[in-house]
Amino acid sequence: MSLSYIFKRLLGMVPLLLGVSLILFGVLHLAPGGPLDVYADNPSVTQEALDNMKRAFGLDQPLPVQYFRWVTAFFQGEWGFSIRSAQPVMEEVLARVPATLMLSGSAFLLALIVALPLGILSATRRYTGVDYFITLMSFLGISMPVFWLALMLQLLFAVQWKILPSAGMQTIGDGSLPDLLRHLILPVFILAFASVAGWSRYMRSSMVEVLSQDYIRTARAKGVSSRRVTYSHAFRNALIPVVTVVALDSASILSGAVITETIFAWPGLGRLFIESMNGRDYPVLMALLMVGSFALVLSNLLADLAYSLIDPRIRYD
Amino acid sequence: MGMAQQRGGTLTVGLGYDIDTLNVYSTGFLGDVQAAVVEGLVAPNEKAEYVPVLATRVPTVQNGGIKVAADNKSMVVTYQLRPGVKWSDGKPFTSADVKFTWETVKDPKFIAESKDGTEDISSIETPNDLTVIVNYKRVAPDFKSTLFTFGILPKHALEGKDLNTDKYNQMPLGTGPFKVTQYVKGQFVVLDRNPNYWGKDKAGVQLPYLDKMIFKIIPDSNTLVTQLKSGEIQMAYSVPYSQIPQLSAQAGLKVIKNPVLSWQHLDFNLKGPAALRDINVRKAMAHAIDRTTISKALGGYPIPISTVVVPVFSYSNKDVPKYPYDPAKARQLLEAAGYKAGSDGIRAKNGERLSFNIMSQAGRATDEDAQQVLIAQMKAIGIELKPDNKAGVAFRDARYKGSYDLFYSGWITSADPSYGVFFGTKGVNNGQGYSNPKVDALLATADSSLDPAVRNKALRDFQTVLMQDLPSIPVTSNPSMIVVTDKLGGFVPNPTNMTNFVNTSGWYLKK
Repeated sequence: MSLSYIFKRLLGMVPLLLGVSLILFGVLHLAPGGPLDVYADNPSVTQEALDNMKRAFGLDQPLPVQYFRWVTAFFQGEWGFSIRSAQPVMEEVLARVPATLMLSGSAFLLALIVALPLGILSATRRYTGVDYFITLMSFLGISMPVFWLALMLQLLFAVQWKILPSAGMQTIGDGSLPDLLRHLILPVFILAFASVAGWSRYMRSSMVEVLSQDYIRTARAKGVSSRRVTYSHAFRNALIPVVTVVALDSASILSGAVITETIFAWPGLGRLFIESMNGRDYPVLMALLMVGSFALVLSNLLADLAYSLIDPRIRYD
Repeated sequence: MGMAQQRGGTLTVGLGYDIDTLNVYSTGFLGDVQAAVVEGLVAPNEKAEYVPVLATRVPTVQNGGIKVAADNKSMVVTYQLRPGVKWSDGKPFTSADVKFTWETVKDPKFIAESKDGTEDISSIETPNDLTVIVNYKRVAPDFKSTLFTFGILPKHALEGKDLNTDKYNQMPLGTGPFKVTQYVKGQFVVLDRNPNYWGKDKAGVQLPYLDKMIFKIIPDSNTLVTQLKSGEIQMAYSVPYSQIPQLSAQAGLKVIKNPVLSWQHLDFNLKGPAALRDINVRKAMAHAIDRTTISKALGGYPIPISTVVVPVFSYSNKDVPKYPYDPAKARQLLEAAGYKAGSDGIRAKNGERLSFNIMSQAGRATDEDAQQVLIAQMKAIGIELKPDNKAGVAFRDARYKGSYDLFYSGWITSADPSYGVFFGTKGVNNGQGYSNPKVDALLATADSSLDPAVRNKALRDFQTVLMQDLPSIPVTSNPSMIVVTDKLGGFVPNPTNMTNFVNTSGWYLKK
């Protein structure tokens, strides 16, 4: 894998993202309503005020003009102003990035650390009590609605036992690290739980498949210890399909966890997205969608790079 | 007195929405936090009557504060300002600030949603620091419900600045009992006691009693309830009815019912299906609604109403044409108008079935529950309603354009409402296409007279005509449920769009 390959791939993202932006812009503007409808909820808003705002935000221009203006500005790093808050979009988005990175990033790492060993354990102890138990928990994790589990844990830990805060990112007036960690526990657990459930299933089935391959049988026949077979022969090969899934999921570290962030009043990008969607705050929406698309394209590239690290036979030129 | 020992403490309030801006003239919300920080010249109290705040009295014709021109085409409103008022940064508050507020909000460069009232004013004179003379281009009886009631802007801090982007939008400067000390986007706003606040209680003790108020942003209503239960917040309003029984049983909390200035209504789109333009169909549907059942389905909190003007107002007309629950009469009306039941039980005339979509706001549980009851009640008289619910902007868009057959939702008004926006031919909220010159004339009279007798008569007559035409069936008035810690004293709910936080200075926490 060469640097020029990575450079080529990065360059290829530009037309891709441009195309994505065109589609997103079109879809957003096709949806009924516009940003000013929020104000129309207030019966004291006059038509003149609405017209003024329309002009001020450039919403009176035809759509192609609006798109052209947006796209040229966006690629120059000029993300415009939020219609809801009148603050620069860049500022609005950057203000939410740390919270999202902290929540989704921690959940991602936790899920990874737990899911892979669980999947391997499940595969090597196939059809034993351990496997059945892990399988049961995985299906619970996949099928349990996030909001329900969150509510139950909030009731247990915050209302009954009063040992953890039920929502928010900090105790107001206390910005210390232990305080932040206490606030992180429940949402990170909830978010990681669903990922663990999915990923460990992938790991298990991939491992089961690899373990039934001829070369594993050969290794076993040659008297290699079962531990060595599992970890140095099978694991790397079994990892490849899992990497694809995990890498694509990693894009969500940047796009935010909408439901979890809403339930836990976590001020991340997912919540900003919902609020902007409800207000049809086009500049913020476009910025968030572009950040999300970029993260997805980037995680694809990372997945490809990870393949070649895991399996030296995979090479890119 | 004993009050003194009740000073101090922090009240944490849960907000169910994320704040966009703290500028009262720009926000898309009603402005709970702002109400504790920014004051206007007058404000509505718990009875929806205006009381003086930064003015020493509410101008009226009787007290000489309002002078109507001889030709009845313009008026002059004079405010005497409260002496000794300071902004929370210590600078004096004067008549120049009032004039500055008008000029700033009126400025076309300022992107605001609430410019209402600015166009009615032709000029403002400030003969001295404590007198403001406002010259109106028309006789505007609703002058109290807009501009100077929302809040006064500080001239010394904002002159020459761009109010669209100024940091005032995050840290507004006011004369109110509290000042903003910290605003973390998406999380919380911290308000500290304003040491320069002008207010004192009857014993001469400096107000406010509370040291701090914290507004926590918690968009999920389940989480809001959890936070009340765990004691992480001590106050929340608009708590879903379904949660009230378990919260009333919770030790340390109390539930307060606030009869807000809103009413639930079933609207007909008069530009829609032809059958909805048949008054007999509308009357039959009105007779088919059992409001008591709807109220029961919502925990018994909603109050049945028969006119669009809520009972708080003196001009709410109890003698309008009424359509009591009477399904037999409803069937008879439809039968007489030629709508015969088909094999599926749904009535039809000339091949046109009485089958309509009914729109409500998706995700608003109270409305969706009521909608289900309405659907069942209409089915009983042979009318089919199919739910067609929309969320967020899509809902509003349909509402303003009138892209629905039937529409069930609620409206909320200020303490001095203008019904023209809902029922006037050109009303911005009249998506249903209702138009009656008689109603337009009556509402115009009400909106241009300062004589309470004339206004009351016009508004009462308007209600009668409206209920004869029946473009909209008033169903219930839904109170807002407020849950607070039982330690909170001095709190009175406010039913107007100036929110419960319009008078926080007298709130205290019992030790």
